[in-house]
Amino acid sequence: MPPPNTPEEGVLTADSPSEQSAPSIAYIPTRHRLYPEPPESPPPRAPTAPPAATTESSRATTPNPSRPPSRPNSAGRASPISCSDRSCLPPINYQDLHYESEVDKSLECPICRTPFYLPLTTKPCGHTFCAACLDRALEIQPVCPIDRQPLDATRDLCHTRVLLDQLDRLRVKCPNRGCDHVCSRELLAVHYERYCEYTMVHCPAPECDLRVARVDARAEKGCLHTYTPCQYCDKSVMVANLEEHYDADCGGHTAKCAHCNAIVIRHRMEKHIAKDCLRTVVACKWRPFGCSEWAPREEVEKHEQGHCVYQAIGRLVRDRMDDRMMINELKDRLSNVDERLRKAEKEKRRSHAAPFVPDLDLNDSPRAAPSYNSGAWDSPEDYMLAQFERMESKMEDLRKMIVELDGHHSMRLLNDTMRLNEQIAELNSKVGVLGMHTTWLMNVQRQSRGQQRAGTAGGPPGSGMVGSSSSAGGGGNSAGGRSVADSDRSRYYSANDGGVPLRRNSHDRGENPPRL
Amino acid sequence: MEDSQNAAPGSVSANKLGGARKAADPGQNAAKRLQTELMMLMTSPAPGVSAFPSADGNLLSWRATIEGPDDTPYAGLTFKLSFEFPSNYPYAPPTVIYRTPIYHPNVDFSGRICLDILKDKWTAAYNIQTVLLSLQSLLGEPNNSSPLNGEAAELWEKDPALFKSKVMDRHKDLEDD
Ligand SMILES: [Zn+2]
Ligand SMILES: [Zn+2]
Ligand SMILES: [Zn+2]
Ligand SMILES: [Zn+2]
Ligand SMILES: [Zn+2]
Ligand SMILES: [Zn+2]
Ligand SMILES: [Zn+2]
Repeated sequence: MPPPNTPEEGVLTADSPSEQSAPSIAYIPTRHRLYPEPPESPPPRAPTAPPAATTESSRATTPNPSRPPSRPNSAGRASPISCSDRSCLPPINYQDLHYESEVDKSLECPICRTPFYLPLTTKPCGHTFCAACLDRALEIQPVCPIDRQPLDATRDLCHTRVLLDQLDRLRVKCPNRGCDHVCSRELLAVHYERYCEYTMVHCPAPECDLRVARVDARAEKGCLHTYTPCQYCDKSVMVANLEEHYDADCGGHTAKCAHCNAIVIRHRMEKHIAKDCLRTVVACKWRPFGCSEWAPREEVEKHEQGHCVYQAIGRLVRDRMDDRMMINELKDRLSNVDERLRKAEKEKRRSHAAPFVPDLDLNDSPRAAPSYNSGAWDSPEDYMLAQFERMESKMEDLRKMIVELDGHHSMRLLNDTMRLNEQIAELNSKVGVLGMHTTWLMNVQRQSRGQQRAGTAGGPPGSGMVGSSSSAGGGGNSAGGRSVADSDRSRYYSANDGGVPLRRNSHDRGENPPRL
Repeated sequence: MEDSQNAAPGSVSANKLGGARKAADPGQNAAKRLQTELMMLMTSPAPGVSAFPSADGNLLSWRATIEGPDDTPYAGLTFKLSFEFPSNYPYAPPTVIYRTPIYHPNVDFSGRICLDILKDKWTAAYNIQTVLLSLQSLLGEPNNSSPLNGEAAELWEKDPALFKSKVMDRHKDLEDD
């Protein structure tokens, strides 16, 4: 079944076959995932029917005014995308990038012959390919494309970190037409997705499925995919395509420049006169510094290139102004940083007030450089250097302090826990002693009970232990105030006598247990 | 297919589009790759072989030449070949045919070549230049165990002189097209 948006036959008249098969090669893993998937976004697709108004004409073989907007990328530009996420972008085709300088052959994938994108290295034989390229090759046959070693895609592949770093550093041009941005490949996605003015984003109009360059979307001009009559010819053009129309197929789009007779696109006449026209009379650019030259641009340009005596002064003044501005800006930034540091310091002091006051004095430290205004510095560069050095030493101080604080902290923690440990140990020993006491007491009781049982064995039946002892005890005690030793002895005797058992009196207890 | 079903939600759309993508991608891929190969052939040509897209501007169809290596019966002769690339090149091999008539154990009379790397031994890492260099070395070391031209295979072993004369008989230079 064809995908839902497959363009209808006959609508694509103006597109060459290659453009119909447009989508750029976003890497979509097919069977197995060799690599973490890049942010998924559906591929741009071929343009669909233009709005009804012009459908008849575009179905003909005449140049198609419904061609989607001009600027960026390949053929995916301004194509309708049926995605719910309106922030999605056409993916970057990493195999179709232009590199600033020639890329080393060793960084080229042997399959696509472009610098690796998401490279994978085979473990058994150490060959490297783009994940997407290798994926497709393995789909056909699970062997290394170089030496035909059998490969298991789930096991035999790994990343090569050095290689990734190298690739990240490659300088690459932004793939959007109209954009001159050059950056490391690592940062390309950020530029493309976030900043590039020429990235094709969804049309800001909520009901529109087409794309426009970000710069146009941001201009809040509404949907640029409506048709408007060209102001110079009788064609109807999609607003987003006006520039391209002026450049290419607009009939009445040019006019002669009143000054130089050059044929200029009317739309750009103002710019031509302001910037390019060689015959327009202009002033020397060093006029603010005293030059009075006032002539057609070509002469002024010659004059500016070498003859203007005010150039030297102008340059000097301008450079100085630039410097001044930069210095001011840097000063501002520095004072901001200082401010923040001071705040941080205060906070730290507050939180560590009691036992430890860190020496976070940043501003009053003897190292602090005198300000630029004091005139102690020969040049702004020196001043800046000094400031940087100062910042660095401050950072170093901070680092040291943090280390110190950390040490202090762990010290305190250690002290605290040590005390606790001691207390725990003491409690432990106390519990031990208590345990001993309990055991001793238990033993004593068990012993006495054993004796009682032995005593009652020979006594009259029915004499309960407790009852008999208490009644007999009364008798025993009343027998007289005998000494402790006597009573002790008499207990054994009386037990041996076979008479009534004596009650153990309180003296027994006080004597023997170990003291706490 | 299982994998795609278990895949993250984000990839659903990719699967839906699978058909379109598969159909659309390869042609563009092949053209890109062939462009870079053309650059490569022009900047660092290999001795004795050359290749160029055919005049009609179709990048999927090329013309190539091989010079017969010295010390072989083909020394001094030049052979023209045609390359037809499938839309999923380099994942599938090109179809290579000798346009110049050649008497060789592994080439039949219509110019079809029996060479493993152009069939089951093809891998995506091969390119036009490696194919041409393999063909060039095949001229000096034919694979006589599986000949397309049995007579040639036999004569190669038994009667080099006759082989050489058959080569010269069969060879005729083509007009440039
Ligand atoms: Zn390998
Ligand atoms: Zn690759
Ligand atoms: Zn850009
Ligand atoms: Zn729109
Ligand atoms: Zn116009
Ligand atoms: Zn002008
Ligand atoms: Zn001047």
